[in-house]
Amino acid sequence: MPEGKFCNKTPITTDEQLKATLNDKGGKQYYEEMNHLEVDSEKLWGTIQKTMKSRLKTWLEICAHCGLCAEPCFLYQVNGRVPEQVPSYKIQATLGQIVKKKGKVDNAFMQMCMETAWSKCTCCNRCGHYCPHGIDMGVMFSYLRGLLYGQGFVPWELKIGAGMHRVYRAQMDVTTEDWVETCEWMAEENEDEWPGLEIPVDKVGADIMYTCNAREPKHYPEDLAEAAILFHVAGENWTVPSEGWEQTSLSMFAGDWECCKDNVANVYAAIERLKPKRATGTECGHAHRATVIEGPYWMGREDGQPPVPFLHYVEWLAEALREGKIKIDPSKRIKEPVTLQDSCNYVRNQGLKDVTREIISYLVEPGYFVEMAPCKEHNYCCGGGGGFNGIGKYREQRNMALRKKMDQILDTGCKLVIAPCHNCWDAIRDLEEEYEIGIRWTFLKPLVIKMMEVPEHLLPKDE
Amino acid sequence: MFKKILLATSGAPSTFGAARVAFDMAKRYGAEVVVLNVMGVPTKAFSHIVNDVRTGEEIEVDEEYRSWVEEELKTTFEKQIETVEYSKIVLTTGVPSREILRCAREEDADLIVMGASSGDSSVYRKGYPGSTLQKVAKAARCPVMTVHRETASYWGGFSNIVFATDFSKQAESAFRFALSSAREMGCDLTLLHALDISGKVLDQNEIEDQLIAARDRIRATYVPLMGDFKDFDIEVWEGVPYVEIVKMAREKSADLIVMAHHNHELDPEKARIGSTMEQVILRAGCPVVSVSKPDKV
Repeated sequence: MPEGKFCNKTPITTDEQLKATLNDKGGKQYYEEMNHLEVDSEKLWGTIQKTMKSRLKTWLEICAHCGLCAEPCFLYQVNGRVPEQVPSYKIQATLGQIVKKKGKVDNAFMQMCMETAWSKCTCCNRCGHYCPHGIDMGVMFSYLRGLLYGQGFVPWELKIGAGMHRVYRAQMDVTTEDWVETCEWMAEENEDEWPGLEIPVDKVGADIMYTCNAREPKHYPEDLAEAAILFHVAGENWTVPSEGWEQTSLSMFAGDWECCKDNVANVYAAIERLKPKRATGTECGHAHRATVIEGPYWMGREDGQPPVPFLHYVEWLAEALREGKIKIDPSKRIKEPVTLQDSCNYVRNQGLKDVTREIISYLVEPGYFVEMAPCKEHNYCCGGGGGFNGIGKYREQRNMALRKKMDQILDTGCKLVIAPCHNCWDAIRDLEEEYEIGIRWTFLKPLVIKMMEVPEHLLPKDE
Repeated sequence: MFKKILLATSGAPSTFGAARVAFDMAKRYGAEVVVLNVMGVPTKAFSHIVNDVRTGEEIEVDEEYRSWVEEELKTTFEKQIETVEYSKIVLTTGVPSREILRCAREEDADLIVMGASSGDSSVYRKGYPGSTLQKVAKAARCPVMTVHRETASYWGGFSNIVFATDFSKQAESAFRFALSSAREMGCDLTLLHALDISGKVLDQNEIEDQLIAARDRIRATYVPLMGDFKDFDIEVWEGVPYVEIVKMAREKSADLIVMAHHNHELDPEKARIGSTMEQVILRAGCPVVSVSKPDKV
């Protein structure tokens, strides 16, 4: 049986396929079918010849196996420092072998590659930081994931995730109508407390366009309401697009390159349509990486930039605080030890390390902020990055991976963790569930709303 | 007045009182009951893995699980479903408070009926401050009725309503709801203001003055709105508000308490201790309706 009903080389493109695949409990049949999936060696080698450019070839070639990437890898650290967890070994034993054998590898080998690519690497790119040649195994694993996806060797949830993006252009089944309705609902729900609050949809020529993560309208629409409240208080002329509002990219985690490009094209099309001066997205790491850091290249943009300056939410927030558009009431500042989770995807990948600390300087009473060690661009992944959080098959490995972050947090002695990234937030939530170390965790938006001074004219008229 | 009643239930015994009231009202007033069950709270991936709302176990939501839950609910409320002309079961996953609000909006419900907290279930409170009730009561467009225990579910219609006012803007909506309920159902209505003297040192004269002032204020505020409705009393008692409200309900053999909800504090630690409404719900021997918006009164 070369191709399975669920596990095959064809991406999910219809709602029926999505539902059917979702109904295959835990991917039971999917993974069974995977055992019989044939490797199309010709296609695999063809893809490599077409897509493997000089950088990757060079990296594969020049790796000196010096092992300096071992210690930087948190998965190496938490898994008993076994040689199988050394990044250079992991990539050489998978991608390196596929290239060496010109794609002539078997099913068992591909399954081993899948396990390595999705449960032994979160594409956090920390190893690349310490390699004397600057070889970034995280980038290489992203590439390997693409090869594996093309052959159908991808974890069940991520096959579905990429399918969601293809069918709904969002990582969850949220339609355009659902989204627009949610915007109306949230504006309405908060109008008593915030007179004049609006969530303007498709406003042309706004100063800033906002995009988010489909989980927000799907389950946590108050996050959208919070964003609206902060824009409202800051006096921002903002808008959300009715189409192209979803910024995330599970397709990037899955290695569905075609779909990655489509996600970004959709957001950029919204920018072209609404012509905002700038854009920003929610407190999410990988969404920013996909849309702002990698996206321009997927789209083949000459300048390597999105169509308009695209800020991460923390950049927008820091600016609003800096310019006094949002003022923090000093008496409401955090007065307990608090630490900050640096999201690999915009801290290591874009260097936004100072801007989050600038925000901290406004929100936290001096003396209460405790850095994790290491931090900033040297920080460790939360343990759930790169899709790790969502994969049932690798849950145990993921729980093990959380231990590094757990130790880091315990070492700070803080009970409160600020995590301005959905994936980090989730991982830290799961960490508490799994290990019960008695911590709380939060995004920035609710904190700022609790602490800010609301100008008189924005308060509800006295009852 | 009640065309559509949304019964939010986990299916657990702690919600049987709420179910009894919801179905009984529906039968009496020819309303439709929408039985909403938020099966589970999403954990990861695309909400197909949830923590079952009752057991806390990780469950994969698929057709099989869905139909099992539906069957379970049908069996639980079988007798009650038979007594009403219109009812349907809605199953969903998500954060309970959010999904109750979403469903109320979609269905354009006239009343939400729910059980009070079934204990501090950390299953779905993780990372989200504020109880389901607090959040629903704060944001719902329609009145929210809470039935804390089976004994608080009535045995046949309403006859005495206690409306407790703090003179807030929301209390005006609550009053309208109390008045139209009293008219509609032929009840006696008690208008109560509980003068908060907890933790204050006041001399007796001062208290007397404030009681008189409050009584005048009730008269001035609400009586003009009552038109030809005559079955009402005005009461002003001093003390700790929730204690006084519950005492008054006993005194009057009330079968419904109506109050305004306007606690913006969602932090459970703070809201819990300070919220008069929550305290009344926990202690009252009858259903409590909280009203915060003027839309459905």
